[in-house]
Amino acid sequence: MIMAVNSQQIADRQAMEKIINRYPPERRFILAIMQDLQKHLNYLPKEALKMTADHVNAPMTVIFSMATFYKAFSLVPKGRVVLKACDGTACHIKGSNVLIDEIYSCLGIKPGETTADGDFSLETVNCLGACALAPVLVANGKVYPKVTPAALRKIINEYRGQDNDSNTSE
Amino acid sequence: MKVTIDGIEIEVETGKTILEAAREAGIDIPTLCYSEAFGGQGVCRMCMVEVKTGNRKRFVASCTYPITGEIEVQTKTPELEEIRRNIITLLYRRAPNSDLMKKLYQDYSCSEVKGVDPEESCIMCRLCVKACEKVGANAISTVLRGTEKRVSTPFDEESPECIGCSACADTCPTGAIRVVEEGGRREIWHKSFEMLRCEKCGGYYSTLPVREHVTEQLELDYADDSLCPNCRRKKLAKEVAEVR
Amino acid sequence: MTQTQVNNPDKRMILVCCGTGCLANGSGPVYEAFCHALEGNDQFEVETFAKATGCNGLCEKGPLVKILPDDITYCHVKEEDVSEIVEQTLLKGELVNRLLYRDPATKQYYRSHHDTNFYKKQHKVALRNIGEIDPTAVQDYLDRDGYRALKKAVKTMTPGEVVEEVLKAGLRGRGGGGFPTGLKWKACASTDDPQRYVICNGDEGDPGAFMDRSILEGDPHTVIEGMIICAYAIGASAGYIYVRDEYDLAVKNLICAIEKAKKCGYLGKNILESDLSFDIEIVRGGGAFVCGEETALINSIQGNVGEPWDKYVFPTEKGLWGHPTVINNVETWANVPVIVNFGAEKFASIGTEGSKGTKVFSLVGKVVNTGLVEVPMGTTLREIIFDIGGGIQNGRKFKAVQTGGPSGGCIPENLLDLPVDFDNLSQAGSMMGSGGLIVMDDRTCMVEVARYYVNFLASESCGKCVPCREGISLLLEILTRICEGKGTMEDLDLLESMSSTIQQAALCALGRTAPNPVLSTLKYFRDEYLEHINNHRCPSGVCKDLTEFYIDPELCTGCGRCRRNCPADAITGEKKKTHVIEISKCIKCGECINNCKFQAVKVK
Repeated sequence: MIMAVNSQQIADRQAMEKIINRYPPERRFILAIMQDLQKHLNYLPKEALKMTADHVNAPMTVIFSMATFYKAFSLVPKGRVVLKACDGTACHIKGSNVLIDEIYSCLGIKPGETTADGDFSLETVNCLGACALAPVLVANGKVYPKVTPAALRKIINEYRGQDNDSNTSE
Repeated sequence: MKVTIDGIEIEVETGKTILEAAREAGIDIPTLCYSEAFGGQGVCRMCMVEVKTGNRKRFVASCTYPITGEIEVQTKTPELEEIRRNIITLLYRRAPNSDLMKKLYQDYSCSEVKGVDPEESCIMCRLCVKACEKVGANAISTVLRGTEKRVSTPFDEESPECIGCSACADTCPTGAIRVVEEGGRREIWHKSFEMLRCEKCGGYYSTLPVREHVTEQLELDYADDSLCPNCRRKKLAKEVAEVR
Repeated sequence: MTQTQVNNPDKRMILVCCGTGCLANGSGPVYEAFCHALEGNDQFEVETFAKATGCNGLCEKGPLVKILPDDITYCHVKEEDVSEIVEQTLLKGELVNRLLYRDPATKQYYRSHHDTNFYKKQHKVALRNIGEIDPTAVQDYLDRDGYRALKKAVKTMTPGEVVEEVLKAGLRGRGGGGFPTGLKWKACASTDDPQRYVICNGDEGDPGAFMDRSILEGDPHTVIEGMIICAYAIGASAGYIYVRDEYDLAVKNLICAIEKAKKCGYLGKNILESDLSFDIEIVRGGGAFVCGEETALINSIQGNVGEPWDKYVFPTEKGLWGHPTVINNVETWANVPVIVNFGAEKFASIGTEGSKGTKVFSLVGKVVNTGLVEVPMGTTLREIIFDIGGGIQNGRKFKAVQTGGPSGGCIPENLLDLPVDFDNLSQAGSMMGSGGLIVMDDRTCMVEVARYYVNFLASESCGKCVPCREGISLLLEILTRICEGKGTMEDLDLLESMSSTIQQAALCALGRTAPNPVLSTLKYFRDEYLEHINNHRCPSGVCKDLTEFYIDPELCTGCGRCRRNCPADAITGEKKKTHVIEISKCIKCGECINNCKFQAVKVK
């Protein structure tokens, strides 16, 4: 088991190096590098930030303040299922807060949190541009239109039932 | 170029900020985030003034507004007083543990608000971050954003960059940065440093990384004295006297 | 000024809307199905092919499919409808009636979307190509006068003449502030610094606005052409498009468009054999609303935290890396080729005295026809919401329309006849912003709406200056208190005083306009605040702590709709008998009130 983690770490490190080296060592590419890292790893581990700082020759403070400033980045791993509740104005006045409350009562997580078992993360997004379908919920990239509290429970149960392997492709 | 500040006509060179011009003319504009060493940051907004150009009147931050034309400035109007009172109210609400804010809150007779965190003293003026940058250590910065924003080291952990110089704490107007000096060690920003001891008086005065940093910055082969600033001053004065 | 599709009778096109709204509704498989059905099919008299286009605007009816040159529009098309459309319409020339647009009021069917009320009052300039072209095909853009304006500018006009033309057109920035675009260009062109930059601000962040996304996705070349024309006019050598990283498709289509523009010689060295050399780079935004602010955006491109600085010296003088920089928003850029192509006079003939041209709005909320609309400046709110938008959903009552996003305000019913332009909206205590129009009905609590926007800004403020960071925090504390029924009358005074300080002293426009949602709701809907404070009641039934629903036995028909839709099983009642809400079980989600056809569910 420990061996597996180590080889995973080495693979991650190599992947990170590859991503970082795609960009010239200039400060203006910090954002792009971190975005690619975030997409690849699903979060920004400390190691990734250090490697970025070294690559562009910027102090760690610069990298860390950016990583915590921009909403695209997460410093902790996200859940297996990422629920994105659109809280754009159209969704809001059509009850997205009801959905967010409902998710809390079903899963015990608030926006920005992940369940203890690592199954679900909840995020709110400002506007998905699908206002005609309000309120919108996105689960691992799949868009669910006009979600009611009842429909929400069904969606959660659907994903809850999945075993861990069936969903890794997302 | 001529500008008028509170009715007083002043000759100013182009590019100077209103705050600089006013202070040179002996006109006081209150500030919380300004330091001559770092220039205007435009953060605290206490230094807002009213600027009239032609028929246009507007409020600007005097610490960042460069004078490039003839303008008329007012630094004390009822509207500006309300702005300053409200800013103090807001900062007291944020940092009710700061003696400075407690005092200003009373002085400005602010609206009643309840402090958010009774333990908080930091008003986010960022002078500490500026000082750390100036020293060249870059150990602290602002993190997060919005109402959550604060100053910290990366990951809230001890930073390899921190040299324990305490320039941040020295410049902090509200004493918000905790420095503990005990038994020849200084603790600051989650990090503990062995302190240097003055050869003459025996007092602790700085940290080893600071001496190394200074040596490096000044490209010296080695820092040649092991005296605290006080004893160094005395030594220098004595040398000067002897030369005379 | 807008063109009709170049109809080639020898070809038949199936245009499948693949804008975000339609894609979310499943238009991807519809497009695939058409491609599959048409491929190798030799039964057609003319060459027939399918195209994936950008957003058509009428997202409510998506997925939309248009057939040209027949000019037929089908709504809510599903994958399984494709074979029927091929059989009936493409082969037999007959309409599939059930898929036609049906007017919700008159119940009349329309063959073409052009004849519907939703489209009739629109005037497409910025959106002229969207939904008509395949955004990944530069030829489609060229077929519709694409890059003609660039050729005209570079070959027949001096840079100064281009600036003059934009100035004369009266084009004002579509991103929010409404600053005259020509003045920006002129200021930048007249600096001594030869290194100048052009930036496209595509960091659309208003919750409830998606026009920039639609343009970047559906017609990326028009933005690129606008930027190249500006580069020629002001003498810039590099341009940046700052676009939200979440906008995957926009980024993808932009990358593709830039590559193709390079291949065609519209970007790169010596464009169209002139001295102009210009390149465009895409910068993906990191998700920060404040980066819509020019100086914050510049900081972000430079590889910093997206904090703004005091703009006492404009970016046109000192911008990106300290050099003169013109920043315009996506929709503004989309107007530029039209101005150069057809002339300032023609452009300025549309709109009002102070606001020329058209404006794109994302019409969303409790309105029947949700979607993207483009109308001449000066169109009234009533025309937009009721004529184009088809009025309020479920026959409920209009309460307010919010314009300008978190920087804007809520406009009440008695101002519905206000002709919409930059100046009128500002006077009404709101603003144009990027063009979100959020329609609210009597089920929307205005105090909660104010709280919603302030809460949004609390996490989107950059946190640099005190009035914005701490001021918003205090506003949020007070508004939350009021929504929980714990507010006092003194709270209202503090709200007003703090709001005015934030407006006067905050560093950037985000901060200075942050109190608008509070002040405008206080101005027009003060009675709702008072209801919350004095009577501990939320009249709209939104604030949960202050809401109790009940069923009026006089009106209840016992249809059971509320019972079936209640997620908490809190409603009981036999068929055709009065239903009752069990208060202890009720989670106050409002599904019952939303679903009742007889207005029998009430707020206590």
